[in-house]
Parts: sequence; C-alpha cells; structure tokens
Amino acid sequence: MDRKRVAILGILFVVLVVLVIVFFKSGLKEKIIPAAPISPPEVEPLRLQPGQTRIVILFFLSENDTLLHPEEREIPADTSVVHQAKQTIQELIKGSRRGFISPFPPETKLRELYVTDEGVAYVDFSKDIVEKHLSGSSAEISTIFSVVNSLAYNFNSIEKVFILIEGRERETLGGHINLSRPFLPLYDLIAQ
Amino acid sequence: MVNLKKRIPFITGAVLFLLLSVVSVSQIQPFLKLTTRDYEEFSRVTIQPSFPLSFEIEKGSSFLLVKISIDIPFRIQKDPFDSRIIRSYGWTKGRDYYILTIKTKIRDFSYDYFVLDDPTQLVIDFSEADDESRRGDREDQSLLDSALSRESDQSSTQEIQTIVIDPGHGGMEPGAQGKYGTLEKDIALAIGLKFKAVIEKNLPVRVVMTRDTDESVSLENRAAIANFEKADLFISIHANSSYRKDARGSESFFLSREASDDEARMLAYLENNPAVVEKGIGGDSEDEITMILWDMAQSAYLKESSLLAETLQEELNFLLKTRNRGIKQAPFRVLTGVACPAVLVEVAFISNPDEERKLQTEWFQNNVVEALYRGLENYINSYTRQ
Ligand SMILES: [Zn+2]
Repeated sequence: MDRKRVAILGILFVVLVVLVIVFFKSGLKEKIIPAAPISPPEVEPLRLQPGQTRIVILFFLSENDTLLHPEEREIPADTSVVHQAKQTIQELIKGSRRGFISPFPPETKLRELYVTDEGVAYVDFSKDIVEKHLSGSSAEISTIFSVVNSLAYNFNSIEKVFILIEGRERETLGGHINLSRPFLPLYDLIAQ
Repeated sequence: MVNLKKRIPFITGAVLFLLLSVVSVSQIQPFLKLTTRDYEEFSRVTIQPSFPLSFEIEKGSSFLLVKISIDIPFRIQKDPFDSRIIRSYGWTKGRDYYILTIKTKIRDFSYDYFVLDDPTQLVIDFSEADDESRRGDREDQSLLDSALSRESDQSSTQEIQTIVIDPGHGGMEPGAQGKYGTLEKDIALAIGLKFKAVIEKNLPVRVVMTRDTDESVSLENRAAIANFEKADLFISIHANSSYRKDARGSESFFLSREASDDEARMLAYLENNPAVVEKGIGGDSEDEITMILWDMAQSAYLKESSLLAETLQEELNFLLKTRNRGIKQAPFRVLTGVACPAVLVEVAFISNPDEERKLQTEWFQNNVVEALYRGLENYINSYTRQ
C-alpha cells in the first residue's frame, strides 16, 4: 500500500468515526420531547355572515354569596371560535356592567389564546394577574373559575382550560391553586 | 500530503481515544429508544433498550402501562411521531423500575406484543378493538376497583403517629395581605406553632413543621417533607382573601380530582405497586419525565381527607361562631403530592378588616388552635384505630 492510500484510508476512517460519535452523542443527549401541547389554532370554514353577533355568558362575583353570577354580553360571531373566545375573555377582564365584582386585578391583559384539537384552551395572561393578585385561596379560585367557566360554558369545542402567564406555565397564581394541569369547568360554583 | 503523513500517528491516537470514549459513554449511559409508526391496520410502538429487558404489560381503557424493571437511570430517545392511535407517552419512576404509559387516542383498543432479539426490542402493535377485548377490559376494571376500595379501608384505620403542620407561605412569599398590613405568612406560622404545642402537650404523637421560621419552602417540598417524615395527617394553615369585601369565616379544603376513568385506573395500578408511592420527590426529577405519581398521591386519601376537613370545620364553626362556609374541594398544589389524609384550613379572611384585626390577637389565634385541636381529636377518635 502506498502512502497516499494509507492517508486517504486514514481520512475516511476519521470521518467515519466522527460520524459515529456525532450519531451516538446526539442520540444520547436527546431527551424525550413532550408532545407539543399546542396545535395550530382551529381552522374553521368562515361560512358565517359578516356583522352577525352572538350572546355569551360571563361569570362574575357578587357581594351576596360566594357563587359566580352570569352576565350576558354580545360579541361578533363572524369569526373563528378562537377569536370569539379571546373576545369573551377580554370582556371578562374588562369587568361587569351590572355591578358584579371582577375577580381580576384591573391591570390584567390577555396576551394570547389557543384552542387545541383536543378541546384544551390555553389562555395566556400578562404577569399582572399574578403580581397584582390578592393571593388568597378564595380569590384564586374565583379568578380561575370565572375564566374556565366563561370559556367552557360558551364554547362546545372547549372542554378544559390551561392558564399560562407571560407565555409560560406557572405553578400557582399566589401559592394555592395548581395551574400545572388543565381545569375542567366547575358549574357548581354558578348561581342559579 | 507531507503534512498529513506526519500526522498519521497522531490521527491513529485520536481515533483510538475517540473510539474508547464512545464505548465508555454508551456503557455508562443506558438508553431506551422509543419509536412510533403507523401501518395500515395498526400502530406500532417499538421499545429498544440498551439493557436487558424485563417487563410487564397492563392495559387500561385508553392507555397501556409497560413496567420496565431497571434500577439505574437511563436516557430516553423518542422519535417525533404523528399517529392515528398513539396520543402520547408518560413516565413514572419506581424504586427499581419505570412505568411507561402509552396513551391512546381511541378508548377501545387491542394490542399484541412480541420480543425480538439482537438488538432486544419489545414491539407492541395497537389496533382498534373488537368486542371480546372490550369485555376483558370491563372485568379488569372491576378487579382494579376492588383493589382500590381495599386500600382505602386500610388507610382509614391507621394509627396516627406523625402529624405534619404546614404554615402557608413564608419568606419571600407573604401570601395574602390585609388592609392593616397583616401578612398571611405570619398568621399561618403563629397559629401553626401554637397548634403544634397543643398537640404535643395532649397527644402521644410526633408533630413535624414544614417551616418553623419565616422562610420560603416550595410547595413541592412541603409535600416531600410530609412523605419523608411518613406523615399520617397533613394540615396546611392559611388565612384567606377574596375580591368580595364582605367575605368572612373559615373554610376547610381537601383536594379535588378530575373524575376521569383513566386516572382512577392508573391510581389503582399504582396502589397495587406501592413501591412507586414510596419513591420520594427530589432525586432526579427530569422535566420530561411525567411524575404521575406526585400528581396522584393525594388521590388515594380523598375520603379520609374529606372526613378530616369535616371534623375540623365543624369545630371551627362551633367555637368561632363563624358562618358555615362548609368544606370545599379545590385543586390545591400543596395537597396533590401528600401521601396521607391532607387538608388546607383557611382560618379567616385577612381581606376582611374585622377578621384581620381578630387574626392579629392572641385570643383569636388560641381559639382557632383550640378548635383545630378538638377537630383533630374527633377525627382520631372516630376514624382511626388507637
Ligand atoms: Zn395561603
């Protein structure tokens, strides 16, 4: 074997080894990738007529009891479910027009809202909902379930609600209610 | 060319070194490869471990549990997938095994599995079920149900040796704040310490505090302390606040859980494999491993927890003449991981100026402690063996 061949073989061998290493190392470093929680927003045929509206029910607190009280609101219905859901939450954090109590810090903003194919709405609030929150158990429960109930009650395609803060998962709002799992609505909390 | 010639001995050395390091890395780090693939009639999951495979399979209504015996940590390589039948994977860690949960998109599925050698692979094929396998599934369910009720009967007659008291919040995290500046963390600690003293004076039990100073303790660690100390009861103490100005009174909470079949079945399975429950929080809690266990520990004690909440609330209502707000269920983070009967007591509303003033006083704190103690005594007398 002449030297040239040895050199070429050597180079080929090195390349092979490097490839093997890259393959193994990258494989070993790879971690289990959690199933993407968010799938693209629902694409819906826009068969709805422009200008059409619908009534949604928002849930607020009352000084009279510990329950959530319904209040109607008219929103545009010529858009997708995601759009309507966003509008519903925006109306909710704006507060009641009938003197009910809003369980949100007034600075709270809705950043984003998605709905997965599996019926989970991801509702992303600004950090004000944590930083300005009253932080008591009852306060947390009413904040969370006014959101969850207002979405699940009005939209058939929303079964559960996952609350995010500034785009991220958070353990709790103020040390009490677990935000790391999606919420089912609690209709027991609704006043008759 | 000349350059290269000179380098050949160096390259050979480098190659040898790299080869050795590849071999050593793959020996130190066992791994498991998980692939998911759809075929016309079925979806195939291939589990390929770099270690000898010993496994058991258990079927649920919309998931399959694969218990893999191994007592050393390993890495999981999972290919991205998009399957008609397979929804997702979850991992639970036991003392000397892992449980792989394969969640399916369809409720009724059947499965078939076989093992290939060289390299070792467990191949599981999922398909939509025929009627026969559905029947089997139902029998399976009732077996798990009976295992579940047996378990909860046992735990309700357990002797109480250790009580963990958890004063809410602390340190950097003050909790709710009253109009006059009272902090929830301070009230919770004051009442918690008094409660500990009264229990120790009157009952032959050990009392452990999750914190006894003004310090931050994570919610997960509070549960971990309770489980590490083998707590028989866990009582978390808080002061409430509401957006309603008039809100007043005490409330006792226990954990709510989603009433889903899958969870109940998973729980029953975990209860039949108690080693999973004994494995504590901490250790290597890799983000990607779903710690189903710690989400579910409390689910096994909901009945006892509701009884404890009831007896405590009854005394709080009686002694403090507070309006009966009764007992409630809510998904409290601090309770989820606690593996014994556990409640969270909101003694009064710090957001209500009247109650905030009361909460600051010794007599009110002592009244609360007396009520809690009587409730505790009632619970022990009524529901536990002595
Ligand atoms: Zn609290």
